Amino acid sequence: MSGVRAVRISIESACEKQVHEVGLDGTETYLPPLSMSQNLARLAQRIDFSQGSGSEEEEAAGTEGDAQDWPGAGSSADQDDEEGVVKFQPSLWPWDSVRNNLRSALTEMCVLYDVLSIVRDKKFMTLDPVSQDALPPKQNPQTLQLISKKKSLAGAAQILLKGAERLTKSVTENQENKLQRDFNSELLRLRQHWKLRKVGDKILGDLSYRSAGSLFPHHGTFEVIKNTDLDLDKKIPEDYCPLDVQIPSDLEGSAYIKVSIQKQAPDIGDLGTVNLFKRPLPKSKPGSPHWQTKLEAAQNVLLCKEIFAQLSREAVQIKSQIPHIVVKNQIISQPFPSLQLSISLCHSSNDKKSQKSATEKQCPEDHLYVLEHNLHLLIREFHKQTLSSIMMPHPASAPFGHKRMRLSGPQAFDKNEINSLQSSEGLLEKIIKQAKHIFLRSRAAATIDSLASRIEDPQIQAHWSNINDVYESSVKVLITSQGYEQICKSIQLQLNIGVEQIRVVHRDGRVITLSYQEQELQDFLLSQFVTDLKVAARLWFSFLVTNVKTFQKVMFYKITNGVIFVGHSKKFSGIKWKVETLFIKWSCLCLHLALVYYDFFQMFPKEVSRNFDLKCLQINYKYKEEITSKGVLFLKTIIRKCLFSTLKLSTL
Amino acid sequence: MGVTCVSQMPVAEGKSVQQTVELLTRKLEMLGAEKQGTFCVDCETYHTAASTLGSQGQTGKLMYVMHNSEYPLSCFALFENGPCLIADTNFDVLMVKLKGFFQSAKASKIETRGTRYQYCDFLVKVGTVTMGPSARGISVEVEYGPCVVASDCWSLLLEFLQSFLGSHTPGAPTVFGNRHDAVYGPADTMVQYMELFNKIRKQQQVPVAGIR
Repeated sequence: MSGVRAVRISIESACEKQVHEVGLDGTETYLPPLSMSQNLARLAQRIDFSQGSGSEEEEAAGTEGDAQDWPGAGSSADQDDEEGVVKFQPSLWPWDSVRNNLRSALTEMCVLYDVLSIVRDKKFMTLDPVSQDALPPKQNPQTLQLISKKKSLAGAAQILLKGAERLTKSVTENQENKLQRDFNSELLRLRQHWKLRKVGDKILGDLSYRSAGSLFPHHGTFEVIKNTDLDLDKKIPEDYCPLDVQIPSDLEGSAYIKVSIQKQAPDIGDLGTVNLFKRPLPKSKPGSPHWQTKLEAAQNVLLCKEIFAQLSREAVQIKSQIPHIVVKNQIISQPFPSLQLSISLCHSSNDKKSQKSATEKQCPEDHLYVLEHNLHLLIREFHKQTLSSIMMPHPASAPFGHKRMRLSGPQAFDKNEINSLQSSEGLLEKIIKQAKHIFLRSRAAATIDSLASRIEDPQIQAHWSNINDVYESSVKVLITSQGYEQICKSIQLQLNIGVEQIRVVHRDGRVITLSYQEQELQDFLLSQFVTDLKVAARLWFSFLVTNVKTFQKVMFYKITNGVIFVGHSKKFSGIKWKVETLFIKWSCLCLHLALVYYDFFQMFPKEVSRNFDLKCLQINYKYKEEITSKGVLFLKTIIRKCLFSTLKLSTL
Repeated sequence: MGVTCVSQMPVAEGKSVQQTVELLTRKLEMLGAEKQGTFCVDCETYHTAASTLGSQGQTGKLMYVMHNSEYPLSCFALFENGPCLIADTNFDVLMVKLKGFFQSAKASKIETRGTRYQYCDFLVKVGTVTMGPSARGISVEVEYGPCVVASDCWSLLLEFLQSFLGSHTPGAPTVFGNRHDAVYGPADTMVQYMELFNKIRKQQQVPVAGIR
């Protein structure tokens, strides 16, 4: 702007006069432009009163302004009005419509004003509310929300229900399938327990122990068949199984090995007729399918057959002093002279016939479950040996056999060492040894118990050890006398019961071996009883004090008012003594001894052993000269009687 | 395995091999030994094949493969002054495979067979050494079971040998010489047998002067 000269701009209005007429000579006659009032009139006619309030206001403002100008321009507009009348026929002058509209608006306003003033007075007119719809205007928004929520929730619920319906349908389908138990799923279950293989279009399984190390030649194959005899119309039974198992015919039923020991000599006629009793089948696990129980039973039958085959093979091959007898399903051997051990395979099939006969005879008392269990263990041990790493050669090129046997070549083992390696004992020998031991043990226990019950004085106690070997047991025997427990601690015997003999270890170190004869043990124990009595008797001699109280403690003497009563056990009933005398140690001792010995000899009149030492009695008898009273004489006769009887018996 | 002494009993003058053996056994039985079966020790000779010999022209080494019935599952292979291998009985089969390297010398199989006597801790074996059909000598083996160290019990063994061999008692075997205090093993016994067999083989003929 600075330094620049202002440029003059001339502005001209573009509105040119309208051409009214073009003369013949080219001159234009222009219309005179509309004056202000003419323009206003023109615009006023354009007003549309039926338009909205916005335009109405504008027009109203415009018309107000016009209305002020109107009276001033009324006179000059008269000419224009006439022209307007010619041009716009519906109205007389441009302001006519405006005037009419205004007039009608005024009329209506007046009417409204009148009505409202009347209504306000409420004399002649009242406002009556129009009846509304059901919902009051206040609760409307809340109920609306509720309804909308309900609808939306219903929509969501519908979707969820649809989905749930689908799920329940699939679940019920599954359950139905389970009930129906598809063949393939059942086959899968079977495969989890047993080895199966497909041969052609048959499915075969193996229930033998061959994979566990057995060398029994039985094939042990079972067939799996589809159970198709299902009537779909009828209700499916509870235990329906689409799978069935067919076991070989010789493995049907149930079997067990009966091991029993009998005391009587075998009767030739009785051989081969073993009392089979159908042992109740071991309860199968609840929920296990029927094919599982069937297969397990068949496998058990197979194992029992293997055990029996092994035993009978050994019974025939192995040479022993008394040959074993193998008859049909029974093996009889004689471990001890008067004893018979019979091992039999009891196989009962499932027919009704055998069931009937089996229920008749049921005498399982002599069946030794322990030995049967041990047989099972031994055969499993044998199976494991064939598979163990001791047998399997390392390296693979080495020969089969026990590991140490393979080393015996390179390490130059001599014959003794080789023999020690080879387990020479078979199943039968082991079982016979175990049976011998069991028998010997039970008999030793019976002997000790019978002695304990028969002899009241001295007392015998037996402490059996809980942990024993299959071939050896031990028991600690204590022989004590009532009142003499402290001294008689020396009579402690440890009996080691082996397979064929009993080894006795005395407390003072002596070791005595007794044979399996029952009598030997009994005699030995009796001799120990007597030793106990001797010890007790010797102690009496060591007493220097005639202490009544200590005396009273011993055995069965009562001292009341200076009178010595001798009360005795029932065994001695019939001879009641009343001894009135001064207390004299030796006589009472003698009496005591005599009574006890008398007891003894009464019980075992024929079993007197010459080992009994009568020195004690003799010593007692020596002291008799010191006593002079009458009662003692009486005593003496009694003692003499006892002594005579003992001496008489001792000479038998 | 106890300390063993293997020696040769010269054939008595005017007697055959069998008769001498009988004499010995009778002496043993009078001593109180009890017969416990028979025994057999045999030996086969192999020499290294010519193809494996170098151009130096060294003589092939001799290998002896021996068996002893006392160790029934073992096979012994030894060189003259070399190591002794104790192997499984499969070693014989192996030798067949090694035909290319070791060739058996023909008619070289020598063995001794006889009876076995047990006298308390002593094990006495009196055997006839035969090569082919002919008897060549007598071998006597005495084993003292409880002891495994040679030096400890040599004197006891000597005394025992003197009791029934008399003047023919041998001296201490050479195997004892080197390792007096070492543990005696079956390999040493086989070495002694090998030496005995070699000695007998060198003897060529049986010095029998008497009746055949």
